[in-house]
Amino acid sequence: MIRSALLGGVAAACLATPALACEDADRVPLTWSTIAGFYTDAMADLVAGFEATHCAKVNIVNIDNSQLYNKQVIEMVGATGAYDIVTLETSEKADFAENGFILPMTDYLADKQELVDDVAPVLATMTTRYNGDIWGLPYYTYTAGIIYRADLFEDAGEKEAFKAKYGYDLAVPTDWKQHRDIAEFFTRKAGETLKGETLTKDFYGVGLMAGPFPEIQDELSGPIWGAGADWLDDEGNVQTEAVEKALTDYIELLKFAPPAALTVTYDGVMNQMKDGQIAMTHGFFLDQWPNAVTTEESVPGAKMGVAEAPGKKAYIGGFLLAVAESSAHPEEAMDFVAYIGGPEAQKKFAAAGGTTTLTSVLNDPELTKPENRAKTGHFGTLLQIFQSMDGFQSNLFNTPYGAKIYNTMQIPLQAAAAGQITPAEAATRLTDEVAKICGGPCPIAKDGD
Amino acid sequence: MAATYATAGTGRPTHVARGGGMSDRAFAWALIAPAMAIILVFALVPLGYAVMVSFRMADLTRGGLREFVGLDNYRTVLFDQSFWESIAVTLKFTVAAVGLEMILGIAIAFLLHGATHGKTIVRSILILPLATAPAVTGLFWRNLYDPQFGVINWLLGSLGLPEPNWLGDIDIALWSVVLFDVWQWTPFVALIALAGLSSLPREPFEAAELDGASTWRVLRVLTFPMLAPVLFLVLILRTIDSLRLYDAVAVLTRGGPGTVTETMTFYLFRTGLKLFRMDYASTMAIFFLYALLVASVFALRPLLRQFTERAQAQN
Repeated sequence: MIRSALLGGVAAACLATPALACEDADRVPLTWSTIAGFYTDAMADLVAGFEATHCAKVNIVNIDNSQLYNKQVIEMVGATGAYDIVTLETSEKADFAENGFILPMTDYLADKQELVDDVAPVLATMTTRYNGDIWGLPYYTYTAGIIYRADLFEDAGEKEAFKAKYGYDLAVPTDWKQHRDIAEFFTRKAGETLKGETLTKDFYGVGLMAGPFPEIQDELSGPIWGAGADWLDDEGNVQTEAVEKALTDYIELLKFAPPAALTVTYDGVMNQMKDGQIAMTHGFFLDQWPNAVTTEESVPGAKMGVAEAPGKKAYIGGFLLAVAESSAHPEEAMDFVAYIGGPEAQKKFAAAGGTTTLTSVLNDPELTKPENRAKTGHFGTLLQIFQSMDGFQSNLFNTPYGAKIYNTMQIPLQAAAAGQITPAEAATRLTDEVAKICGGPCPIAKDGD
Repeated sequence: MAATYATAGTGRPTHVARGGGMSDRAFAWALIAPAMAIILVFALVPLGYAVMVSFRMADLTRGGLREFVGLDNYRTVLFDQSFWESIAVTLKFTVAAVGLEMILGIAIAFLLHGATHGKTIVRSILILPLATAPAVTGLFWRNLYDPQFGVINWLLGSLGLPEPNWLGDIDIALWSVVLFDVWQWTPFVALIALAGLSSLPREPFEAAELDGASTWRVLRVLTFPMLAPVLFLVLILRTIDSLRLYDAVAVLTRGGPGTVTETMTFYLFRTGLKLFRMDYASTMAIFFLYALLVASVFALRPLLRQFTERAQAQN
């Protein structure tokens, strides 16, 4: 009995301490394709942590964001086994799942319910669930809110002038009408004053990501979802009127954005913020907070703030880690996904400035202490957003054509933003393009969660 | 395989006999066979495959290569508004860019040909844009064009001039790409034209000078006609290259704003590698290749005729 207990104890100890001592030759090779530049260095440290506790060797393949989808699809179609773990944008999950490019992790995660439940529900629904299965774990979120110059919003002179002009108090906007008013209010020419000081260059109310990139649709998602609509209705058709309305308002907003708005994406907006050119963002990726907060150093007197997007609806984005169907080592790959998406790695990731997907880490008092504001000052807002959007789903992420639609929709939207076509033409063109991609109404998985 | 050569009356080496009894024709085939094999494997087989794909349903993310659909893909592409818009953009770009490159390149070649000092340095500098990858120079120009932080607008602003949105204005963006291409490829035209000028025989020009011919008459009657084959070849090369424009668009504008700089190859890339509709992409590629082949045959015919006549005259 005692012997059995001892043996059991030894076995348990062995299980609790995964293979630490293993020869390099014995290590299972795993290849992870991921996005170059998104805290890849921090990720490399996390990978080292995984290798220290698992007999595996992880090779990280960094791929430019614009090429990641097509490179991964090509490898998946060819079933080359080149990548064991893939990184997917929210819109790509259904595409990869439906085509059998990735393996469901529902069974694997069945005994890890605590981890599954730790991912904010709305983030889990949007990024990991499709057709009743769980397809991996998100390791990074770029959920959107607004980042703004709190010093401008708190300035007594500006507040007084705003109230005199618009008849209500200047505050963080809670709807898109207020957002538009504030953008207009803060748009000033060189020579005018801002916070009582004469401007040496033009200043703009809002920074927009209206360049030829998918981020334009991420921005537009907020107003569309906030109006109770969606890109696709339940029958899989584009909600043309909602798109036209949101686009019309967006184009109106472009008057209050730097001219470069038509060429930039998130990094351009961050440069505008840090250069003291803009007062706030539209629905903007909050993972950029550690970058945005450096405005306090580059612009004298600046104080940054972060809040939920107007209407409490914004893009819920996350990079999903999933295991390729063609992986030669799916079990080990799933272990890797669970490790990177799990609390230990996520905590380290957050400490390094990454934006975690786990509510336990977002709530971690150690991480969210005031002295960590530069890295984690947006965590509280993210929790609010996840709470506000709890239960929300978008049909765009529940159609297997989501990735193709996502890669196409920027073209008519940006054409309208640039003045090449009207918002009505853009909405119609989007409707036609989507129908062409799906071969009619797009199929929508009804049990996405 | 040892070959024996004798010198004919013309002074050119001529094949007389070959060990193993291989004829001239067979020997010539043997020489070009490796190159032909490579072309066959890496060009003709993919081309044949693309033709086959163009007659089938082929969505990489929906089962790959599927049923035969006859001419459906050709019908779809012919009625695709975006396809024709991209062709219009491509043609507009090609005419503007190649036209400017030819004019400026020839002018630079004449200036350099007449220069007495600094020719070598200028020639070396001219090679720089050609020697750098378009993706690298594209990024460099993207920074130059940046409306907020770019050097061009900083200079214009300093002079009190308007600061255009080079890559974001629908009326300017394509011309910004043209300007980039002109910067990169004018030196190519200039260097080839300069080589052509340097190789012209002196005698006709000396005779024309003795006869008191004006500069304009010398240019019209001697220089340009004698330089024409070289210039024509450069024109063809630049035109083909411009019609295939991809890198500059990918780096500078990604086809935007909207679709004003979306060239045919960029649209083809988007269809094939973003939407994974290999059937449409292959069909477009076949269209494109066919158009290029027809245009090249017509354009190259006079040049080939001239080369043939010269070769015959020399024989």
